[in-house]
Amino acid sequence: MSPSQQPSSHNPTCLIKNRFAHRFVRALNNLNIKNRSPHDENQIYRRSHRVKIAAYAAMASVVGSKRAWSRAVLWKVRNRSRNQGLLVSSRRKRVDCKSKTSNDHHAKVSVVRRRNPNPKREDLDPFRYSGQELKLRKLVPGAATMDSCCLMDETADYIKCLAAQVEVMKTLVDFYTTT
Amino acid sequence: MSSRRSGSTPRITDEQIIELVSKLQQLLPELRNRRSNKASASKVLQETCNYVRSLHKEVDDLSDRLSQLLSTIDDDSPQASIIRSLIN
Repeated sequence: MSPSQQPSSHNPTCLIKNRFAHRFVRALNNLNIKNRSPHDENQIYRRSHRVKIAAYAAMASVVGSKRAWSRAVLWKVRNRSRNQGLLVSSRRKRVDCKSKTSNDHHAKVSVVRRRNPNPKREDLDPFRYSGQELKLRKLVPGAATMDSCCLMDETADYIKCLAAQVEVMKTLVDFYTTT
Repeated sequence: MSSRRSGSTPRITDEQIIELVSKLQQLLPELRNRRSNKASASKVLQETCNYVRSLHKEVDDLSDRLSQLLSTIDDDSPQASIIRSLIN
């Protein structure tokens, strides 16, 4: 996968991967992680969290505002930068599991939903929001209030982009581990 | 299913749902190679949830490793110069 040469126009996934790789690497550079050894587990966690957010934000910005999920991700990321110190995350469970640090950090990790433009409406239509579909709505960003048709469509696109993102990240890790 | 929306979206037909479910099925690595190409919608949704969760977990792991690797690379290494040339 050569990041800089001929973007294959016959394969949109390839194009997405190239664009994502470019933006992600630039974001990583701006994160300024290099040559800095962390002092404690808290810093280690925060560093990897920043990389993760950079990855999701880069992919969402490649897709732009065409998709509801990418708009939701970008909204969350922008809000996150406003809430300094509080983590706005719909992936609270994973954050809790991942933090191996002291209670201090646990106290800091709290889900703050501020002016969420997608309020949940389970109370209005219980049949639609039950079972597997509800689980899916929690996993795909911005999917809480779509109808089932849009949900499937968004999920399909989200899966494609996520898989591309994982591939690029794997390539980067391989690249950095070969010495 | 969407009759709640005041007239803005037409009712979703079953065929549409079936088509979307099968399209989703094609993307899932588990169900793609099944001989019977008609898995039930709930199975497809379940597999989708599992797949999305596994992808999220992979992103977590990869960003862990990336952050560790990035903090240890030398600024003069060949990788760093390649990355720099890519960015500029």
